[in-house]
Amino acid sequence: MPMADSPVTKHGANSEDEATEASVQEQKQMEQAYAQMKRKMSMAEIGRMIKHKVMVLSGKGGVGKSTVSTGLALSLAQQGLKVGILDIDITGPNVPKMMGLEGRRLHVEAGRIHPAQGHLGVKVISMAFLLDNEDTPVVWRGPIKLGAIQQFIADVEWGNLDYLIIDFPPGTSDEPLTVAQSLPDIDGMVIVTTPQDVALLDSRKSITFSESLKVPVLGVVENMSGYTINGKSAPNSDVEIDGPAGKTLKTTADDQGNFAITIDIFKEGGGESTAEEFGVPFLGKLPFDPGFVRGGDDGVHRIVSEPEGPSAIAFAKIVAALQEQITDSDEPGLEII
Amino acid sequence: MTEEMPKLKRFERRETDVVLAYVGGDEFTITYDDLRHACPCAKCSPLRNADETSKSLRRQVEALPKEKPQVRIVGNYALGFEWNAGCSSGIYRFERIWDLANRRDPDNGRPYVHGAW
Repeated sequence: MPMADSPVTKHGANSEDEATEASVQEQKQMEQAYAQMKRKMSMAEIGRMIKHKVMVLSGKGGVGKSTVSTGLALSLAQQGLKVGILDIDITGPNVPKMMGLEGRRLHVEAGRIHPAQGHLGVKVISMAFLLDNEDTPVVWRGPIKLGAIQQFIADVEWGNLDYLIIDFPPGTSDEPLTVAQSLPDIDGMVIVTTPQDVALLDSRKSITFSESLKVPVLGVVENMSGYTINGKSAPNSDVEIDGPAGKTLKTTADDQGNFAITIDIFKEGGGESTAEEFGVPFLGKLPFDPGFVRGGDDGVHRIVSEPEGPSAIAFAKIVAALQEQITDSDEPGLEII
Repeated sequence: MTEEMPKLKRFERRETDVVLAYVGGDEFTITYDDLRHACPCAKCSPLRNADETSKSLRRQVEALPKEKPQVRIVGNYALGFEWNAGCSSGIYRFERIWDLANRRDPDNGRPYVHGAW
């Protein structure tokens, strides 16, 4: 009876469709699970191939975090180490510009992303490499952004590195959390600040944030710490300069009449006192150096253009302090029983 | 602290205290109560004063269940302790642990008397 058969036949067709759909969905889920597992394994492998991983954060924007990230990377590379930078600042990626890699595109081979090589052989991965136009903002919701970060960690052919410096957007957002959860054995984080109160307040938040991430603070770096004016006057004469906040700065010229005087444009020693307050190391101060701005714009980092200049020396000291904080896995460490 | 601090070599957790062995052979014992009372975090530190609050912190610490902590190395400069109950926020610099081992108040170097600095 057609009337009786028809619903049965129809029902049968539905079941088949549903079964096919379920199997497609199952397959998709399995593929996703497999991809996820592969990515996890890849992250673990990358974790082994990269000896030290250092996160660079700041509570506030505009404190020179990318300048510090690139400076740390280049200063480490100056020691002959193999270094990479992962620019996680998806909304404002400017590491490539500072590393002379503006306009570069990423090279992808056999499903693996190959980083670009900047000054001193530093390997760089940045969202900027994927943008058609540098004026185009990346407007991504959380899950897409986090997926991209995971891909930037797991699908990149970093090779063996001594250090990977990870540059984050300002604040205590999702990005550091994703990285801390994805990348194994992170050595710790460097907090960048400037001496004024607002920046310091936000740095304190970053230090507290590190506790929730279970990533140790390797130390605080105070950027834009003081601007040094070099000048000439009569030999052994007293020099006076009107500084900020009505303060008079005094010094004496040497036998040749050379003098140097440092103006604390913001305040003095704030980064150091914050580090002391929280019981974390103070890694050092970076001078206020307009050359960083020029270097950033021209794509020639200050450390590259003046490898023995005051900023390069300041970075070398900070790097030495940072390396003191990082346990080398080759050394016998503390035995905890 | 005027003397040079040797490197901490071994951190051996026992039931109620920890044995610290330093390079050079020195060994010290710190009870978990003393360790927890010396927590350097922003919440515990203000409670460690010369007045009654210090005793109150001590009583709080002593009332906690006796347990071995999980230990994590923080950078190359400190240790962190995870307890099932009570505060786990403090980061103990090695200098602080050395002061505790030598029975000194880690905040301002005063001699240590059980439960009261």
